[in-house]
Amino acid sequence: MKGLFGLSLTLVALMITIPAAGMVFAETDEPGEYLDRRVLIWNLFFRMMTVAFTVGAVVSGTIIWQIWRFRESHPKAKPTPYEGTDW
Amino acid sequence: MVLELQKPRPIWQIMFSTHHTDVGLLYLIMSLGFLFLGGALALAIRAELFLPGAQIIGDAMTFNRIFTVHGTTLIFLFIIPFASAVGNYFVPIMVRYKDMAYPKLNAIAFWMIPPAGALIWLGFADFTWYATPPYSIISAPGPAADMWIFGLKILGISSVLGAINFVVTILKCKHPDMSIGQVPLLAWSFLSSSLIILVAIPTFAAALLMLLTDRLGVSGFFNPAMGGDPIAYAHLFWFTFHPEVYVLVIPAIGMMYEIIPRFSRRPIYSYGSGVFAFVLLAIVGFSSWAHHMYATGMSFTEKTVFMVGTLAAVPASAMHVFNFIATMWNGRIRFSTPMMWAVGGIALFFSAGAGGVVNSAMPLDFTTHDTYWVVGHFHLFVMGTIAFGSIGYLYYMFPYVTGRMYNEAMGKIHFILSFVGTVLVFFTQHVLGLYGMPRRIFDYPPIPEWIAMNQIASIGAMIIGVSMAIFLANMIYSSGRGEPANTDDPFGVGGKYYYPFEAKNPSH
Repeated sequence: MKGLFGLSLTLVALMITIPAAGMVFAETDEPGEYLDRRVLIWNLFFRMMTVAFTVGAVVSGTIIWQIWRFRESHPKAKPTPYEGTDW
Repeated sequence: MVLELQKPRPIWQIMFSTHHTDVGLLYLIMSLGFLFLGGALALAIRAELFLPGAQIIGDAMTFNRIFTVHGTTLIFLFIIPFASAVGNYFVPIMVRYKDMAYPKLNAIAFWMIPPAGALIWLGFADFTWYATPPYSIISAPGPAADMWIFGLKILGISSVLGAINFVVTILKCKHPDMSIGQVPLLAWSFLSSSLIILVAIPTFAAALLMLLTDRLGVSGFFNPAMGGDPIAYAHLFWFTFHPEVYVLVIPAIGMMYEIIPRFSRRPIYSYGSGVFAFVLLAIVGFSSWAHHMYATGMSFTEKTVFMVGTLAAVPASAMHVFNFIATMWNGRIRFSTPMMWAVGGIALFFSAGAGGVVNSAMPLDFTTHDTYWVVGHFHLFVMGTIAFGSIGYLYYMFPYVTGRMYNEAMGKIHFILSFVGTVLVFFTQHVLGLYGMPRRIFDYPPIPEWIAMNQIASIGAMIIGVSMAIFLANMIYSSGRGEPANTDDPFGVGGKYYYPFEAKNPSH
């Protein structure tokens, strides 16, 4: 579980860092290049929203599944090892 | 806790008490009062924007006054005092001390808030919660602006006094047998947010003084006509108020750390990562203030630094979310009202955070700057995360405060309506911002998409309004006539609770 936790955290960090690094180095001072900034910005927006929606869907989907699976009325619900103790 | 409704005392005994649960009760009642006042102003704003043209508010100046007081009230007079209420009730118990470190200072910090609230409400200033210079210096109307400045000054002092009290209580008054690594996460959240306050608030205190002397004409710090620079105010303001975002959100996350393990019937998955994430948020909160100011002509390098500084908050926030998910995993979750609010708050916290990443990316910030996207983003944080965590915790502490149970069905209806309303209002406002609608406008052109989305947002706000009416009725009715609570285990989920009423010290 801890490995999965670490892997998830690393993946999220990479998914955020890579587009950010791309943006940082996107601007150039070289002459002769003409950029349609509006197109670039909206392109970047859609790429970042793709990342955000993908991560959001995974996290929200996990939460929704947990709500369904680990509710106390679920047929497979069983007491946790901590119940009945003064944890 | 206080159980005042079962063992009533004269009200003056509570009002002039310095005991932490009494001061906590005063904070609680006052903050809820301001929640409903500020919420009423929000409904007025949304009713006005339901259609283009003047609807219920006569003119733009009045509209400006309403959203200024709305924002000031809900941030400074609801969220922060509510967190203080929770901290006053629970922090001394959690660190096993009889009271706050400085009880009289604690009571003084509370009693500074009502006059500050009165100054803000009686003045009804119009220059936004940011007190926008140079407008606020040159032409904001008379006593209202000065009353707002004095009100905020008093609130700042109150926050600093409260923060000193929390820091000393947690670090110096905790039980000798308790190491700092055993302090519950809710208390850690108060320690982190208090340290932020102590570092951040003095800057704004200085800015307010400069603003006041500028208004009096004896200085020109932010007045371009006298050689000053309004951008300097922006730096001072955001140096305080970006970290202040974490002052608001960290206690709410701390409250979720109490609720989620309790109702999952499992201890928190990783105490260490929770502490680490709180401390990390408290530090990186100071590395991101200028992302509010990309449009002010900063250099590319400066913007890059602040963009990376802002993104540094993402791993810390993600750690909290994953901690909650891992805690719920393999639990046997009871979805009582507090748990529903906490889980809803996590979901919306993640959505708000995703929008924040877009804001922090400098090219995108130019697209969304000063549009309704920004309004949707920060309201999703403030309402969707902070208020959800706080209201969930209010339901959680209700049996301890009153000795009675709230009506569970009404609590769940309150949550469902609020969740639906929040999504309708604030997700729609994000889209509205992408369509280009500027924030802080009284009227707008009759563009069909703008009208439709404003109407969706206004309907969402009305749904939240209805849910809050149900909440108010539930609180009032259940306080007096609710079922008596089993204060050993009011939610029937077992485990170790904190019982503030058992710790009451009659010597105060």
